[in-house]
Amino acid sequence: MAGLSLGALPHFIYQPIWVAIIFIAMIFWRIMAIRHLWPLPTKQLSAFKLIHLAIAGIAFVLLFISYGNFIGRDAGVALLTVMLSLKVVEIRHHRDYYISCFLGYFLVVTNFFYSQTIPTALLMFIVVIIMTASLISLNDSKKSLSNKGLIKLASSMLLQAIPLMLLLFVLFPRIAGPLWGLPQDAHSGKSGIDDSMTLGKISQLILSDEIAFRVKFNDQIPAQSQLYWRGPVLWQTDGTTWTELNKRYLMSSRPDFTTSGDEYSYTITLEPHNKRWLFALDFPGELPLTPASHYTYDGQLRSIKPINQRQKIRLRSYTQFNLNPKQDDAINNALQLPDKLHPRTRQLAQTWLQQSSQPAELINKALAYFNQNDFYYTLTPPVLTGDSIDRFLFESRRGFCEHYAASFTVLMRAADVPARIVTGYLGGEINPVDGFLVVRQRDAHAWVEVWLQDQGWIRIDPTAAVSPQRIDHGISTIMPEGFNTPLLMANSRQLIDLWQAIRNNWDAFDNAWNQWILAYGPELQKEFLQKIGMTKPDWQTMALWLAMGFVLMSLMISFYLFYHRPHYDPVSQLYSTFCKKAARAGCVRPKQQGPLDFATALKQHYPHLSQQIDHITELYINLHFGKQTVSVSDLRLAIKQFKFTASN
Amino acid sequence: MTQYLSQLYQRLNAVRRRRVFIIPTRFGFIYAGFLILILLGAINYSNSLGHILCFLLASMGWVAMHHSYRNVAKIELINGYANPVFAGQAINFNLLFENRCRRTSYQIELSSKPSKSRSWNLFKRLGGFAHNVTIAQLKAGATITVHCPVPSLRRGYQSLGQIRIASQFPLGLFNTWSYFTSDTKALVYPQPLGALALPLSKDSGDQITDPTQKGNDDFSGLNTYRSGDPLGSIAWKALARDDVLRIKQFTGYQGSQLMLSWDAVSQLADHEARLSQLCKWILQADEAGIDYGLSLPNTLVSYGYGDGHRHHCLSALALFDNE
Repeated sequence: MAGLSLGALPHFIYQPIWVAIIFIAMIFWRIMAIRHLWPLPTKQLSAFKLIHLAIAGIAFVLLFISYGNFIGRDAGVALLTVMLSLKVVEIRHHRDYYISCFLGYFLVVTNFFYSQTIPTALLMFIVVIIMTASLISLNDSKKSLSNKGLIKLASSMLLQAIPLMLLLFVLFPRIAGPLWGLPQDAHSGKSGIDDSMTLGKISQLILSDEIAFRVKFNDQIPAQSQLYWRGPVLWQTDGTTWTELNKRYLMSSRPDFTTSGDEYSYTITLEPHNKRWLFALDFPGELPLTPASHYTYDGQLRSIKPINQRQKIRLRSYTQFNLNPKQDDAINNALQLPDKLHPRTRQLAQTWLQQSSQPAELINKALAYFNQNDFYYTLTPPVLTGDSIDRFLFESRRGFCEHYAASFTVLMRAADVPARIVTGYLGGEINPVDGFLVVRQRDAHAWVEVWLQDQGWIRIDPTAAVSPQRIDHGISTIMPEGFNTPLLMANSRQLIDLWQAIRNNWDAFDNAWNQWILAYGPELQKEFLQKIGMTKPDWQTMALWLAMGFVLMSLMISFYLFYHRPHYDPVSQLYSTFCKKAARAGCVRPKQQGPLDFATALKQHYPHLSQQIDHITELYINLHFGKQTVSVSDLRLAIKQFKFTASN
Repeated sequence: MTQYLSQLYQRLNAVRRRRVFIIPTRFGFIYAGFLILILLGAINYSNSLGHILCFLLASMGWVAMHHSYRNVAKIELINGYANPVFAGQAINFNLLFENRCRRTSYQIELSSKPSKSRSWNLFKRLGGFAHNVTIAQLKAGATITVHCPVPSLRRGYQSLGQIRIASQFPLGLFNTWSYFTSDTKALVYPQPLGALALPLSKDSGDQITDPTQKGNDDFSGLNTYRSGDPLGSIAWKALARDDVLRIKQFTGYQGSQLMLSWDAVSQLADHEARLSQLCKWILQADEAGIDYGLSLPNTLVSYGYGDGHRHHCLSALALFDNE
């Protein structure tokens, strides 16, 4: 039952509160029944049976209200949790115990849909130990094992099972899922960059320490200010919300682009975000081998399928690029502004336009405007109501990257310069432990691209005009000191550094866990097996290796379980050295001969040693047959000093 | 070389003296089913931890199989004996088991089958075992005497026949069992039955009319103990006094002698009824403290008394005309 509770515990985070309440209530009922003989629902006690049924009924109604069905992933898990808790109260037979134990394992598995972290894995091991212990106690009807003994046996069984588990994990031929359609909500609840942007939305991400992806550069790492990880491109706006171009344009054709400048090859390990963007370093030179992906017309690298599991992507990017330099079919969308909105912004843009119609100058004017007026870069911008662009540019002037990107785009469009917003991530932190660049949700960023004839889309980051630190040194320099450290530690530099070191190590460990354990699928398996020397890792070879390993391990465990260490007591051992000495001297002791007879025989050969022989024999007999008047060391000494010397 | 091989063969033979059977239980199959479900789920969702849990549980099952085998494999039947009983009573076989493994065995269930059935049908041959007793635990290297009650069938020697030790320990996923064929025999006396009164015949020449009416409580003195004297007559208090075993002498029917003969029961219908009657008489005479003898067509037990004598007579009855 403890196992069941532990197995269910993590679910309470995701599930509605009533599931937890019912579960705890049922467990409580059962415990009270055991401890204080509370009545349980049985056929005889129909009142309690009714209560039980009523709870079940209420649970089902609540389930239906909460989820609308019983088929989805979340609903299924909630259903399992509730049913299991109801079953706990009903347990009567041997069989019921088994079934609840097995269902408990199931509950553990369902937990993995939500979380596959190291703590979850540890919890799994603990749950398995407890379940095993309860299975053992079921089969120990005479209760000859204490609780401690049960846990000990269960743990030792677990330890013995681990080698085979590893073998299976490595060698069991992996099949790429899914085998059947996944429920709609199979991969819900992932946070990250969205396909639309409303002012104030990205700054919510800033508070999230969650890892978006990790990058391993093959050789050198570009400068922080070059690390623009390209995500969704936003064109259309209604004044507050920015959205993507419609699908027709996105999919219409491959963009016309050329790349130049420094080349960087790297591997992104993308955390599942349930969207299609691959967040390549601006700008990717070619499509990756996996996953199947394509370029959108506005230069996004998008996977064909949503990324709903951790994905390794090998890419090559270039620092310079020309994107659609000749013409862009969607250019009208980059000039679109909502009617009658942002009058003051338009007015400002018009005054600039009257001074110069050169796009480059207009851009500089806008950047200078940000730079020279009292704009501040802040993670906690004031909430803007009404015409947010106008209010930001002329009133609050406190904003985050998205405020600058949006208002800059509006200014550009008002001045007839095609502009669009690109969202993604900027920068990242290098973990000194394993050299991976870790990009977190808080590195989310928005910048602008403007289209210039013959140059195509070029990147302008208006945030740089306000807060160059953000661009050059990453988000953490902007964050208040000790932002990510526990409160108590925030006061001491050393403690912050220590905390950072622990975090780095943990991240590296977590990364290794992700890279090797969680990502272990058909491809990684192949790669790994080739690395350890399997020339042709197809399923036949794997099965053969698996079978061999299995036999080997069976032998090992049998040996472990049955191996009988021959343990002699020290007295017999000492005596046998004496006998060996005698044998070397030519007197072999017959197997059945007693020590006294042997002594007599020896004395016949070595009459001059008879005193010592008698002494040793007497000591041996006294010790061996339980007279504790002499000590073992006496015998040891006597035998050590004894030598079969020929008589002179 | 050949000598070495034959030695090896003999040693292997000694190790494999006894077969141990193991099959999954109902729960074992359900467990396997659950594992397959978990595996399918893990594959479907490409869930690595799901794979790990599935493999872990499969390995646990495999470990449990070895433990289950180990739990039973090294239990040996060392010895067995049983006190004689009267037909109809349960024979209490005392079996000495030893755990020759260096680990403790738990929850060994012992069942027996009175005789080895020679059916060609495997299921019939494997079936028919009645559960007797459960050994809760047997420590490494320890021995245990198990009382295994078996119903007695008929007079004569009854051997224990086949016994089975089985266990589902530790997880209940596998049932492991093994058979012993023990030649331990128990002597079954005839059932003491019959309505005839004890034939206190004239030639035994005494004034006793009905010995069972009078108790043997007329204490007459103490005698030193001779082997065979009834334990119930030992003067324990006297023993505490001077460390000499004495038995209490009663003036019951001391000195009277009674020959229980086959002819005296010839009026009864068949052998078994006669033997039962004689059996009952022996018990009555023994209780009354009469010196009695037994004469059967091919056996003669002369006069005597005490537990040893009683056993002698009763076993003569038990084995009478028995092949």
